[in-house]
Amino acid sequence: MEYLSQIVLIAIGAALINNFVLHYFVGICPFIGVSRRVDMAFGMGAAVTFVISIAAMLSWVLTYYVLQPGAPLAKWIAGLFLPAEIAAQVDLSVLTYIVYIFVIASSVQFVEMYLRKFLPALYKSFGVFLPLITTNCAILFACLYVMKMVVGVEPAEQWGLVPSLTLAFFAGIGFTLAIVIMAGIREELDHCDVPAPLRGPGITLIVSGILALAFLAFTGMDRKLEKMFKGDAPAVTAAQDAQVPTSASPVWKPPAQTDSPDTDTQRQ
Amino acid sequence: MKNSSLGQAWLVLLLSLAFGAALAGVQVGWGPIIEQNKRNKTYDQIPRLVHDVEAVDLTGKPAKLSGVKEATEEVPYDDGKSVAFKVFWQGKDPAGKVHLGWVIKGKGNGYADVIEVLIGLDRKAERITGMTVLFNNETPGLGNKITTEKFQGQFRGLDAAKPVGCEKSAPAPGANRIQAISGATISSESVCNIVNQAVAGFRAQLPALNKKDH
Amino acid sequence: MAKDGPTPLERFLRGIIPENPVFRQVLGTCPTLAITGTVRQAITMSAAVMFVLICANLITSMIRNLLKPHLRILVFTLTIAAFVTIADKFLAAFVPDMSEKLGPYIPLIVVNCIIICRCEVCASKQGLAASAADAVGQGLGNTLALVAMATVRELLGSGSWFDIPLFWKEGTAGEQFRWSIMNQPPGAFITFGLLLGAVVWIDQLHQKRAAAAKR
Repeated sequence: MEYLSQIVLIAIGAALINNFVLHYFVGICPFIGVSRRVDMAFGMGAAVTFVISIAAMLSWVLTYYVLQPGAPLAKWIAGLFLPAEIAAQVDLSVLTYIVYIFVIASSVQFVEMYLRKFLPALYKSFGVFLPLITTNCAILFACLYVMKMVVGVEPAEQWGLVPSLTLAFFAGIGFTLAIVIMAGIREELDHCDVPAPLRGPGITLIVSGILALAFLAFTGMDRKLEKMFKGDAPAVTAAQDAQVPTSASPVWKPPAQTDSPDTDTQRQ
Repeated sequence: MKNSSLGQAWLVLLLSLAFGAALAGVQVGWGPIIEQNKRNKTYDQIPRLVHDVEAVDLTGKPAKLSGVKEATEEVPYDDGKSVAFKVFWQGKDPAGKVHLGWVIKGKGNGYADVIEVLIGLDRKAERITGMTVLFNNETPGLGNKITTEKFQGQFRGLDAAKPVGCEKSAPAPGANRIQAISGATISSESVCNIVNQAVAGFRAQLPALNKKDH
Repeated sequence: MAKDGPTPLERFLRGIIPENPVFRQVLGTCPTLAITGTVRQAITMSAAVMFVLICANLITSMIRNLLKPHLRILVFTLTIAAFVTIADKFLAAFVPDMSEKLGPYIPLIVVNCIIICRCEVCASKQGLAASAADAVGQGLGNTLALVAMATVRELLGSGSWFDIPLFWKEGTAGEQFRWSIMNQPPGAFITFGLLLGAVVWIDQLHQKRAAAAKR
């Protein structure tokens, strides 16, 4: 249950609360460039969602088994040449950025070849956007996010494959959502009298600012949801209230409180 | 065929080797400094978190706590899932390491993102001697006021045995409560919850830790 | 482009205003929006971009005659990624607080279109001097744009410039004048949109005046 609620929270966080475009500002180039018509925007969004999931999956596998400090595969390969205690310290994390960018580039190539061969109809609709995606920062950002949750946290909180994939997929959904909304607005903007200097990227950015303002309203939603999943907040504090005296005070009775006068003066 | 593909790729291979060597050099040269920086981020806060209560208590006047960073020990607890910092003060006498208190880490969700805090406790973990926010991503101008001394200082001297409460108006003295930042009640409550959870978790483990020492 | 293209000086000057990478070419928008909350962040970021840009341009220019056309993007990416890693580690080692604030946006320089665009347009066609001048010019243009953005946002959002309080101090009564939104994502979008519009507007005025003069 806790695992499931974690997944739901990650999904909502990636798609709405911390929307990649409107909160992290990644993937702005296609967001401005390919948001003139709704159908094009939708195609771009679908292509990004597709590639971002594949790239995040690959980068999780590579980070977990090869790149993180003390990764099993790196340790095993180093163990063939080096004594065991040195091999255990092998840390390839300095190579992460190079590896990620090549993972992205090759997965884009691979997806393109696969689609052209087996799903020509889909290839036709994706085709234009696929090469563009290589330089889409949203993909690299998702990989880096996954890396942060694998390398940068305590082992108990380390993300597995499923949370990483959820993050990436819903980040793609969030991107699609933002770009489609934007395209819808821009189709209407065509009929408006926009001041000449703002036509094009200028007005798009200002409208995205207003859109970001709207998305700001989602902030804090995950915290309420978390409370809902875990039960009510008062229940938690009540449990703490009960837990503290029973577990701590009878076993270890503290002597006189020497420092309480000091603290009281400090507080006032 | 092999020749021609090698002929095309030799430049890429050569560049890869050169960059690989450069990156290895970077890692060897700067890696230790980066590690040190990460360590310092926590350790720089430690003297501030414990000294207010105890330094006065020990010497009669506010002492300069030199050597605290070096003398502090890291003690794992909760089956190695968490680490507490057992803070010592290395006085003039090299043998006389004085145990000042504990610093523990707390982590939990805030309004916008994760909040990480450090909490200072006295020797018996009965009083909170300080609290500081290590990481936050709260709303600028509202939630991120949890990093101000005005907010953090409220935790100093609170009773660690009872959960710290949080209310909108100024609390009565001795009520074991803090005043929330106006307009950022959720962030303030989050910090309280994080502190309460971390302190309760640590206090539950303290008897076992003390037993290990003796 | 002709073999000996623009001279180094032209390359340098063009990068700053006429071909400003951010305002005129609308490249590298991610950092422009994401890390312009304060001027200090903007300067750190643009220094990192400038370093990577100069190194990548020099390497590309050095090996331009050996490049196979279909492998060139691969070589560019490899070069850029390597130098970005170096820049990232340097910041983490010597400016740890900035490194933490900029976080993932430093590695995102890898996919910053400015750099790969300069490698492609200039460095793979011209000699060392022109490439270096181009990199410095474009880098300065990028710095200018980022600092302009950050100035607006920091003045309105934090009341300070380069962390020096100008309008009010944190925690004083003057804080009621804070535009909190300027520190947040919407402020970035709106500031960028308006600045972009202002640059286009000035440009259009110039063109109009030039046309009137001709007549």
